[in-house]
Amino acid sequence: MLVAKVFRSTMAHAVIRAIDVSRARAQPGVYAVYTAEDIVGLIAKPFYGPAFHDQPILALGKVHHVGEPVAVVLAEDPHVAENALASIEVEYEPLPAVFDEIEAMNSKAVVHEVLKPAGTFPDLKHLSGKKNTNIALDFHLLRGDPQKAFKQADHVFEHYFKTQPVLHLPLEPFATVAVPTHTGLTLHTASQSPSFVRIEIARLLGWPENRVQVKVPYLGGGFGAKLYIKTEALASACALLAQRAVKLALSMEEQFYVITKHATTLRIKSAVTKEGQITARECEVWWNGGAFADIGPRVTQKSGFTAAGPYDIENVQIDSYALYTNLPPAGALRGFGIPQLVWAYESHTDMMARALKIDPLQMRRKNVLREGRPQATGTLMRDAALVPVLERLAQLMHWDEPFDHGSGTWRRGRGMAIGFKASIAPTTSMAIVVINADGSCQLQSSTVDMGQGSDTAMAQIVCEVLDIDMGVIKVVHPDTDVTPYDMATLGSRSTYHMGHAVKRAAEHARDQLAAMAVEFKLTLNEVSIADLFKRKYGMQAGNVVGVGSFIPAYTSPDAQGQTLQATPFWMIGATGVELEVDTETGQFRITQMINLVDVGNPINPEIVKTQISGAAIMQMGFTLSEKMDFDEGQVTNASLADYKIPGIRDLPQFMHNEAVSAFEQSGPFGAKGVGESGTFGVSPAIANAIDDAVGVRLTDLPLTAEAIFRGMRIHAGQPLQED
Amino acid sequence: MSQTERTIEIFLNDKPIRVTVGHHQTLIEVLQAQGLTGARESCAQGLCGCCTLKVNETLVSGCLFLAVLADGQRVQTIEANEQALDEVQQAFIECGAFQCGYCTPGFIMMVRALLDENPDPSDEDIGHYLSGNLCRCATYPEIIKAVQRAASVRRVPS
Amino acid sequence: MKAFEWEQPRDWGEAISMLDPRDLTVRVMAGGTALMLMMKSGVFQPTRLISLQGLGQEAGAIVQEAQGGIRIGALCSLTALGQSSAVATTAPVIIRTLKTLSNVRVRNVATLGGHLAHADPHMDLPPVMMALGATVKTVGARSSRTLTMSELYRGYYETALEPDELICEIVIPSQVGRSAVYLKCSTRAADDWPTLGVAVNVKCDGDVIEKARIVVSAATEKPIELVAAQTLLEGHSISPSRLNDCAELALAQAPLVSDARGTASYKKELLRVYLKRAIQIALKGTIS
Repeated sequence: MLVAKVFRSTMAHAVIRAIDVSRARAQPGVYAVYTAEDIVGLIAKPFYGPAFHDQPILALGKVHHVGEPVAVVLAEDPHVAENALASIEVEYEPLPAVFDEIEAMNSKAVVHEVLKPAGTFPDLKHLSGKKNTNIALDFHLLRGDPQKAFKQADHVFEHYFKTQPVLHLPLEPFATVAVPTHTGLTLHTASQSPSFVRIEIARLLGWPENRVQVKVPYLGGGFGAKLYIKTEALASACALLAQRAVKLALSMEEQFYVITKHATTLRIKSAVTKEGQITARECEVWWNGGAFADIGPRVTQKSGFTAAGPYDIENVQIDSYALYTNLPPAGALRGFGIPQLVWAYESHTDMMARALKIDPLQMRRKNVLREGRPQATGTLMRDAALVPVLERLAQLMHWDEPFDHGSGTWRRGRGMAIGFKASIAPTTSMAIVVINADGSCQLQSSTVDMGQGSDTAMAQIVCEVLDIDMGVIKVVHPDTDVTPYDMATLGSRSTYHMGHAVKRAAEHARDQLAAMAVEFKLTLNEVSIADLFKRKYGMQAGNVVGVGSFIPAYTSPDAQGQTLQATPFWMIGATGVELEVDTETGQFRITQMINLVDVGNPINPEIVKTQISGAAIMQMGFTLSEKMDFDEGQVTNASLADYKIPGIRDLPQFMHNEAVSAFEQSGPFGAKGVGESGTFGVSPAIANAIDDAVGVRLTDLPLTAEAIFRGMRIHAGQPLQED
Repeated sequence: MSQTERTIEIFLNDKPIRVTVGHHQTLIEVLQAQGLTGARESCAQGLCGCCTLKVNETLVSGCLFLAVLADGQRVQTIEANEQALDEVQQAFIECGAFQCGYCTPGFIMMVRALLDENPDPSDEDIGHYLSGNLCRCATYPEIIKAVQRAASVRRVPS
Repeated sequence: MKAFEWEQPRDWGEAISMLDPRDLTVRVMAGGTALMLMMKSGVFQPTRLISLQGLGQEAGAIVQEAQGGIRIGALCSLTALGQSSAVATTAPVIIRTLKTLSNVRVRNVATLGGHLAHADPHMDLPPVMMALGATVKTVGARSSRTLTMSELYRGYYETALEPDELICEIVIPSQVGRSAVYLKCSTRAADDWPTLGVAVNVKCDGDVIEKARIVVSAATEKPIELVAAQTLLEGHSISPSRLNDCAELALAQAPLVSDARGTASYKKELLRVYLKRAIQIALKGTIS
């Protein structure tokens, strides 16, 4: 097998004048060195992506961000390949670059001269981009008459917020092995979306889907990083050019240049009555999508549905922009943009409550969306336990009891936040349940288990329908030759979408078994599955194959962002935090964190709890310590030594994670997804608690001790020197 | 043989092997070539613990340990004693102390050594001992529970 | 990494003879944890490495001296250092510092000599050793010498060691009557390189501070002894105003630098607070 090592751009935006790989090719042990020129010989239009075909397999003509693959070296010895990279020479002609999302709105630097919509997904069919700008998608929503409401308001509040660039950083970095076969190509890849990879690779090569086989083992974490198509296109091209198996496994450092979470700037403005009723809201969100759209446009649109928050507001305007910049691309990260929005609207809720001298809980109670009410898109809230989650949080935090704010140099504070999310629709899942003649069974599904426990949950669903023991079921891992189409493992969609497909497949199998039993004038209660097969086929032979598919109803929003079917289900998450601030330094510790979610009826309550906990701790990292630092587009902290993710000594002193009692009428066994809900409220709950403790309001993430300290000094009239 | 490689002998999971390695190769590379993938390189800086190995009685980060240094030494990986689960592995399963499982072999290796050194660790002891092991799924609360459970099982005389 | 040659000398003399002061691609490797990082990132590409692993146990031995000091062989692993009863009785601050120094696996392999010679200003033991008044003994092709920690550190990753000179021993003088503290201030995750390190060592006669050593690290390009601040303490008992004056002198002397962990002006505030805390904790230690 050959190992591929990638030569990456050192420029953020530049025309490639010349590439000289001759010295690298001449290194002993180097099998091949490829550039875009070689790729084009195999794939005439070597651009990929789920929203736009904007990402070249290797940079073609120009580079769009530092870290973009420009050339690739193949060798049997990884060290030989790695060392040969140093002898590749590229001559660049620098172009003006744009890094900030606000600047990107009107920048002279344009990242892509031509935009090629992918047209793959039905919810992104309208996508066209705006020529000669950096706007990949702009989403607009208008409900009621916000301008009139602002004119009539008792109070108007307007605040700006920012979130920083962070990344998924699964401990298993991206890895793909591509193997040419006599029928086509087999990929072993760490992907959350094997079906999409197959379709995209087949499209690039002009092949039918069945010539590409995509196999996915257990993943070492994903969190949205391994979605759509990442290392697969380059690995495939290398394998076909070399006609050898090729392994492309990235380093931890390289992960920083593959996919990130959108940095954002958010503006939120509310009209409020004296009593604290919100009558109008305007939201503007600018998403820093980096150099390639990836799934950013969907993040922009879907999160745009709920940017005004889980509040009953008559007049709403939302304007959301997916922007290209010359940073590494941004995509979906555990929450699909929702944590950024909740950060803004729940900080804003507390800031208004404080100004109006209204208790933050009362402010939320007064405005929260109640069951059956329409939210900003016009879609009604159904099976959305916003009120139960809020009330349970208040109860667990003893919110109505007096709170000790500390004394001396230590000050205590508490804060809460609640958020919600529309699920990803319309998306398709298929499943196959095969019953063998001995009564054992396998489930074939392309849902990827990356630690969230989907194999277990899906097996439970099959067992429940067929009334069989967990011990007799095998879950077949994604293999596109065997497991049928699934849109992807993302957005907390699997339990609901694949759960339905699996349930239907199991029911289809059960119905066939029941029909077999009827042939012998029996019911399924009276005969074992093995006996039934023996009776039918005279020996241990035959199969029953159950097939199920699911696609939820969805209506695309109109020009005003209105639709009666924005989502098949609502996800809800809330967090309450108590913390202590050292007023001498601004350092603080979280003494209590309570995370509550509505997952409908949990299929596996223990797994649900660990999902809530893991999501909340991950978001705590995005809130307190994680931040990608850039210098002219170059990441200056691309390692775990300098980019600090939470470790075992960073936990809150006390944590409580709970799914409130709820039921999703449209879900399989009343269930809905949970992977992301624990992230929603974490950032604003912590910021609200800091404000409660020391009166400092932070509007930029991450929330650092230094920012708190500087805020305290401003309050004291002794601002710290900027340097 | 060139001056930049040599043949070494390792007692790998109690089986002697002879292998020719480049001086620049890490122990983790050699183990991967042997088909042992339980220890894996992730951060490449000794910070995440995914490549935790035992050389003689010492825990090391395999990604920072040159293979030549293991010449003549006993090297143990998570694959040693694969026949049955020990109390640490059992406790991790019972407490749900992993999600994706990528970091788990490293944690198991560390926790075994922790309990050998300290049969009754406090939560703080556990935190300090495991501070060099990262879990991006953040199952830390469950891991702490699992260590406590394994410790209590170990303390019960069999 | 590129291929390189490998040598395993038997003693210090042989190790030194294998070095070539004109060829910086030939270097020794002790535990190798820091060197490996440099090699993996391509910052350092050796043509030959000289492993010190073959030098024998003596090169890493810890010896308690009759006068109360200790001598530590440069190849002593940080784990062995932390488990030493001689260290625990002579300089318990080292044991406390090691608890949050990197992690178990790195401490198992890294050596004290390598740790001190690397001269990364974020490392924990250089300021502690400086506060303890430790010296290093070196062996070199031309001569062997003894250096104080202040003499050893020249700047950012820069020492006074010649290319063919190695630290072979660390000597910590008797600490009888002294109390030392190291405060490591991290501002991001709990386990991170420090934003600021403060080491304080005091010797008291009753209420009066006879001798004081104050060292700042991590926020500076090298560990620095804050002489003016420590002089202010000597010969006096502590009072809130003297503590404040001491901190102000320290701030005036310490050349703090901004980085991703904080701005210099914030680190100044941290130094003010942590220095006072360290002095107060050290003084409490002299009473018990």
